[in-house]
Amino acid sequence: MKNEYIPYKAVISSIQKESFDTNTYKVVFDDEKIGNSFDYKQGQFAEISLLGIGEAPISITSTPSRKGFLEFSIRAAGNLTDKIHELKVGDSLFVRGPYGNSFPYDEIKGKNLYFIAGGIGLPPLRSLINMVMDNRKDFGHVKILYGAKTPDEVCFKGELAEWKKVPDSEVWITVDKPCDGWGCSVGVVTELWKETEVHSENAVAFVCGPPIMIKFVLMELEKSGFKDRDIVMTLERYMKCGVGKCGHCNIGEKFVCIDGPVFTRHEVKAMPRQENVF
Amino acid sequence: MIIKKISKSDIGELLRQSVEKWETYVPVDTDQGDTLFTLLPKEGSELENALEKVNLKDEWTVISPKDIFFPQLETMFSFEKDNIKEEVESSKKLIFGLKPCDVKGILFADAFFKRNLDDKYYLSRAEDRVIVAIGCLQPPRPEACFCTSAKTGPFIEEGFDLQLVDAGDEYIVEVASDKGREFVDLYPELFKDAEGDVSRSARKIKSDAADAVKVEVDFEKALAIMKGDPDLKENYERISERCLYCGACVYACPTCTCFNVFDDNKQDKGIRKRNWDACIFEGYTREASQHNPRKEKSVRAARRYEHKLKYDYKVNDVSGCVACGRCLASCPVNIGISKFIEEITTNKRIM
Repeated sequence: MKNEYIPYKAVISSIQKESFDTNTYKVVFDDEKIGNSFDYKQGQFAEISLLGIGEAPISITSTPSRKGFLEFSIRAAGNLTDKIHELKVGDSLFVRGPYGNSFPYDEIKGKNLYFIAGGIGLPPLRSLINMVMDNRKDFGHVKILYGAKTPDEVCFKGELAEWKKVPDSEVWITVDKPCDGWGCSVGVVTELWKETEVHSENAVAFVCGPPIMIKFVLMELEKSGFKDRDIVMTLERYMKCGVGKCGHCNIGEKFVCIDGPVFTRHEVKAMPRQENVF
Repeated sequence: MIIKKISKSDIGELLRQSVEKWETYVPVDTDQGDTLFTLLPKEGSELENALEKVNLKDEWTVISPKDIFFPQLETMFSFEKDNIKEEVESSKKLIFGLKPCDVKGILFADAFFKRNLDDKYYLSRAEDRVIVAIGCLQPPRPEACFCTSAKTGPFIEEGFDLQLVDAGDEYIVEVASDKGREFVDLYPELFKDAEGDVSRSARKIKSDAADAVKVEVDFEKALAIMKGDPDLKENYERISERCLYCGACVYACPTCTCFNVFDDNKQDKGIRKRNWDACIFEGYTREASQHNPRKEKSVRAARRYEHKLKYDYKVNDVSGCVACGRCLASCPVNIGISKFIEEITTNKRIM
C-alpha cells in the first residue's frame, strides 16, 4: 500500500523573483524515478514540506507539456512559506502529489479562452495558459485579464510580455495603485471590461484570485452572458492532507482537494449556501 | 450462523490466552472510575491485575474505540536531516467487548479511510483484526443512547466476527464470519456447543434490551428532512449561542475522522504527527491569508450536523451518526444529535 503522506526530496534549481513577496521555485526530484512517476495535469497541486516546519498545498504552476521539473509560485504568507523564501538554489524541500482534479483541456479545444486572475491567482492558471500556448492552433482567441495591487505585485512579467506576442492572444493588465511610468490600466480587474470586449460566445472563462475579486468578476461575466458551466474556477481552502482525509477543505460533501480544486460555477452554486463559496 | 456458548467465568482465561496471539483491547476499569478500551499487558501480574478490572457490563467508554485505529495523536514518520523513516503500526488485534454502535462507527471509519486514496496509517492498524461485539442489556448512557432509532444497537446483525449475548452466567456467542469461526475453534475448551433453543433465548434478550432504550427519535424522518436541504439557520444560530466550541462532541464521536498535521522537532531531527481536529473550531478553516470561509459560529454548527445527517448520507447511503449518544453525554451545555433530530422532526424547541 502506498503511503500518500510521505514526501520526496526535491532540489531547487532556480528561483525567479515575481514580486516583493512571491518567488517561483523550479525544483527537480532528487530521485529520478520519483520525478518520472510524478505525472501531473494542468490545475493540480502538490503538498510542499520543509521537515520540521510543516506542509502546505501549493498549485503546480509549471506545465505538463514541459517535462523534467516542477515550478511553484509561492507567496511568503505564513510560517512555512516565509521559511521557503529563505531557501537558495541548491537547497531542498519535500514534495508529494500530484493531487486534485485538473482544468478541462480537450473539452475546451476550439473555444475562445478568457483567463481572469487577481494577484497570486495567476500562478494556478499559468499551467493551463502555457499548455494552451504550446498548442496554440488548437484554440480560438485567448485573452488574459490580470489585476494586481501594484506593478510590483504583477507575477510572470516576462511571460506576460511573451504571451502578448503570440498571434491571436491578448494580455490586459491593471493595477490598483500605479507607479511612475506604468503603461497599463489602473483600477480593479473588472475595469478592464471597459477597455476590451468580453464575449461569451463559444468561450470559456477561467477565474482565480482573492474572494472579493472573484465575486465582482463573476458579476461581470454574468453580464457578458457567460453560462455557469462555462465559468471555471479553482478554489482555495485550508488543507492539511491533500488526499481527502483530514477534512479541512470540506465544502458540503465535496473535498476541495480531491473533488476540486477546479469547479465550474455551476458546481459551486450547488454548494451549501452558508459556506460563502461565491 | 453458528452459535456457541462461553461461561462468564472463562472470559479471563480466554483473554489470558488471546494476548499471546493478539494485541488485545478490552474495556477495563481505571483507578479513576472510568471504563476505557485498554491494551492488555502480555503477561505476569500486570496482565492479572488488568484482567481483574475487565468490565464487560453495560458501562460506557467515554472515549470511542476509534482511537485504537485512529489514535488521538500518532506518528506519521520520523526524520533526521533529509532522511524520512515511515512509521506504520500493523499488529494483529483483538477488539473484545465493542458495543454495537461502536462497531458501526468502526465500519464507517474503515470505509472512509479506504475511500479515494488509502490512508495507510489507519488501514494498517485496522487490517488484521478480530471484532468481538457485546450487546447492551441496558443502555450505558440512559439519557443519551438512542441506538434503536438508528438501528445501530443494542445488538447488531452484521459487521462483527463474534457477538456476545449476555445470558446470565454465560454468553451466547454468535459467530458471523470465517475469522470468528477460526477464533472459537482455537479455544474449544472455552467455547462450548450451545444446547437447547439458544436462538430463542437470544431473541428474547435482544428484544428486552431494545425495550430498555428510552430515548427515541425519528431518525429516518430526520435524514429525509436533511436530504431536502432545509433552511435551519435559526436552529444553528440557537445552537451556536449556547455551544462552547470545546470540541468534546467531535473528539468523542466514533465517526469523526478529521485531523491536523504538525512537525514536532528539535533542530533537524523530529517527527511528523497527526492529531484529532474539530470542524467546529474557528481556526479549522482559517487560511494563511487570514481569510476564513467558516468564521461564523452558526456556520460551524451547521457543518457538524449537516456532515453527520446529510453529506455522509449523500455519499455513502449511510448516516454519519451511529446514535451512540456520546455527543450529548459529553456536552457541558446539553447539546446533542438526538436533540437536534428531535427538534427538526417535531418542530419543537428542545434545546
